[in-house]
Amino acid sequence: MPRWLRHTLLTVVPVIAAAALLPLGYSNQLLLFNFVVFLTLAQGVNVIYGFTGYLPFGYVGFFGAGAYGFSLCVLHLHMAPLAALGVGAAAAILLGLLLTPLLRLSGAYFAIANLAASLAVYQVVSNPNLENITKGPYGISLSGVFNPTLAYSVAVLILAATLGLAVYLRNSRFGLSLQAIREDAISASMAGIDVVRSRTLAWLLSALVAGLSGGVFAWYVSVFYPETVFSPEFSIFAIVFALFGGVATVTGPILGVIILYGIYNAIGISTPQYFQLLYGLLIMGLVLFLPNGLVSLFKRWGIDVP
Amino acid sequence: MMRKLSVALFVTLFAVCSGAAQAAAAPSQIKIGTLYAASGNFAAISMPVHRGLQLWVDQKNAEGGVFVKPYNKKIPIKLIAYDDQSNTATAATLYNQLITQDKVDILVSDSGSPLTSVAVPIARDHKMLLIDQTGTGAAFFTKDNPYIVLMSDPVSSIWPKYIADFLTQDGPKLGIKRIALLYATNDFTGTQANAVRGFIKAAKAPVEIVYDQGVPTTTTSYTVIINNIRAANPDAVITLGFPNNDISYLRNLQDSGVKFKWQFNIYPGLETEGLKKTVGAKGLEYIFTYVPSSVIEYKPEFGMSLPQFRDAWHKKYTDDKVEFGFNSVAGYTTGLVLENALKATASMEQLALRKAIFSLSGKLKTIDGTFELDETGAQIGEITPLGQIVPEGKDELKFVVVYPHDKASGKPVYPAK
Repeated sequence: MPRWLRHTLLTVVPVIAAAALLPLGYSNQLLLFNFVVFLTLAQGVNVIYGFTGYLPFGYVGFFGAGAYGFSLCVLHLHMAPLAALGVGAAAAILLGLLLTPLLRLSGAYFAIANLAASLAVYQVVSNPNLENITKGPYGISLSGVFNPTLAYSVAVLILAATLGLAVYLRNSRFGLSLQAIREDAISASMAGIDVVRSRTLAWLLSALVAGLSGGVFAWYVSVFYPETVFSPEFSIFAIVFALFGGVATVTGPILGVIILYGIYNAIGISTPQYFQLLYGLLIMGLVLFLPNGLVSLFKRWGIDVP
Repeated sequence: MMRKLSVALFVTLFAVCSGAAQAAAAPSQIKIGTLYAASGNFAAISMPVHRGLQLWVDQKNAEGGVFVKPYNKKIPIKLIAYDDQSNTATAATLYNQLITQDKVDILVSDSGSPLTSVAVPIARDHKMLLIDQTGTGAAFFTKDNPYIVLMSDPVSSIWPKYIADFLTQDGPKLGIKRIALLYATNDFTGTQANAVRGFIKAAKAPVEIVYDQGVPTTTTSYTVIINNIRAANPDAVITLGFPNNDISYLRNLQDSGVKFKWQFNIYPGLETEGLKKTVGAKGLEYIFTYVPSSVIEYKPEFGMSLPQFRDAWHKKYTDDKVEFGFNSVAGYTTGLVLENALKATASMEQLALRKAIFSLSGKLKTIDGTFELDETGAQIGEITPLGQIVPEGKDELKFVVVYPHDKASGKPVYPAK
């Protein structure tokens, strides 16, 4: 059996099956929807950080761009949600293109510049002088296209495509070339890899994932303020989940989301103080003993983790 | 004869059995689901509202429950409350949790527009009536959505009516002609700023807005802005912001030495105790503000009077962690409206509850004033009068209601000393 097929059967199929079937037995669909969104975002972070080595602290900028691209098309052009979703994704890619010069930076410098860029986008969107276009800080209401069931189904499809992308990167020459860039860009370049082209492509793919997630999030919640879709929590959660599970794998971010977001929903809401303590301890333990995430444990035992 | 007897027996048996069935159908408790923010940006407004509601629940349960007309008996209340930590995404999940997992009979939102906003589509989707406590965003209320009613604060688009009426009617007589408008750009105060502009324009009075500026809600330094306002030479300054905005603005105003002749802020009235601690009594002197239901006595026809409520509050909450104020009255008012609605509703169906709540409109007079709804479910009663805070003795302050005239308790001090 080809490796990519085994990876697909072990990761993509069970996750998508669970996401598709769980709403039949569990009625808090929004909770499941949030899981789907974070599973997608964590894989988006995986693409740019796990494979390419750029830590996107401002990843939520793409998510917000997608949400607003979607919403403004619905509000002003009365577009059908699926078409508007395409525009949301295009808005995120456009923002990604605008920010490609940031890829000249690396490490903490890139992370900070990316964070600043996302804050700048948030300030522009929430500017009261743009009220006629973006509704400024007064928020968006899309009650006309509110359809949570369809939005959930589309979110699951986006997750499936994103997981497919992660499987591709894990098993393709392109994925390997990205990892080579992450380890040493100059050596990779000497080996014939087009560094600029490859990392730009990874950056835009990662923006596309976040843009689609943002668009479908806006569709699902339908009433939101700019601070909701530009909340740094989206970036932080997605990064922490991906790191916790282990990046540059398909399984790592999935495990991270299921465990950490699961804990968040199990005890984070009833007893937030204990949750923060437990979260802190878990992350400290991970940094000290498993800096490459949970999956590194399996690798240590000689198990090939998808 | 035998036939008549058997018919009578059958009818009696049927009546007894159906009575028993009805009693059995009555639930052991009425589940009210709500959210609160114990931490984060909205904790300051959320916790007093939540504690106000909790106080009502405890009172009713101590009396054996709340009377529910469809079951013709008192039923204890179970308040299911989760902490959303001021996070809208968490709040959305929890509203869903309350509806789909806890299957609450009544859904009560958290305080403020941002945390209420996410509940509006969720409640509508599940055909649950959203008991909106203080989410005053005008966009929530539309004619095509019957699943929302606003309890305790007037909708933002009419709240500042008395400010504008005072400035356009009494203002010119006092010499007020030039008005400055500074507001934080969020749904709550942005909508009020729009309303002020609209009311002033509609009045066609000899007053003009000479300064009109929105600033981000996160603004903490107002020194430059205060100088800009002064340069516009206004006779009256309306500043609309959240508590953090008001605290920063009033501190900066005090430090700068600038004294406007007429200065309005929202929170010196709504959260007086909190602002007195952070700004100081001196900084609040002669400020115009909303005179809230926690200060003015409305002669309630239902529920506790203001002094009784204040006593009950301080007796129950001895930890002093949450300030008594306007928002605590709001939470208690939610309870009073629900109590009356349950007393009047034909069934526990959501639209029947809505009908029962609407039947109270214009009739229910509580500690918060007259409860009155428009056709979309927005609150148009309970408008807070305009007042001025004046010094009384050393470090003490009192409210003087200046508008509307039928509620006025004194004359405005203009220009401010």
